[in-house]
Amino acid sequence: MAEGKNLYETVIVTSAKLGEEGSAALVERFKALIAEHGTVQSVDDWGKRRFAYPIAKQTEGYYTLISFESGPEFTAELDRRYQITDGIMRTLIVKRDPRHLNKPQQRAPRAEEADIDVEAIAVEAVEEAAE
Amino acid sequence: MPERPEREIRRGRKGRRKVCTFCVDRAEFIDYKDVAKLRRFISERGKILPRRVTGTCARHQRELTVAIKRARHLALLPYTSD
Repeated sequence: MAEGKNLYETVIVTSAKLGEEGSAALVERFKALIAEHGTVQSVDDWGKRRFAYPIAKQTEGYYTLISFESGPEFTAELDRRYQITDGIMRTLIVKRDPRHLNKPQQRAPRAEEADIDVEAIAVEAVEEAAE
Repeated sequence: MPERPEREIRRGRKGRRKVCTFCVDRAEFIDYKDVAKLRRFISERGKILPRRVTGTCARHQRELTVAIKRARHLALLPYTSD
């Protein structure tokens, strides 16, 4: 691993108003942004999920988890971009502890409604990447 | 899950000492994405259950609260529910 690089994961919650394509396009833009400043390791699309509480009078949104590697200065920039982008409801950027990397990431949460099985596939991808 | 507060000094109260589920599972970290697991540690009203109820060890309780708060931020868990 390169010096000064950290592993992060970020969750982007986009508005259900954007629709499937709109949200995918938005996520794609952020993937490109991350790729400019680091390397995208895996992308896990959780699909549409119902919120535990309404956000801005909306009840559901699209969730995407992106794992990436970058320098520590990039997270502030990423967060800034999140804040000024319309259609993003919630975001989270967390650093992943390198000591936990050999452990496969735990399963993405199950939604109340039946989800697509992209989760399982993505988890496998993460496991492979970890090896 | 039996939700009876347990004391180290049992004054006539029966029951065995609860052990931390995360220690038993040898969980390396507590994932904010694992909603099903986190749900077991919040009350019906959405509050984080105290250690004395769940038997979680101090170390894992600290980690757990952070995980629950992250999940709440992402609307994976409620802050409150009536």
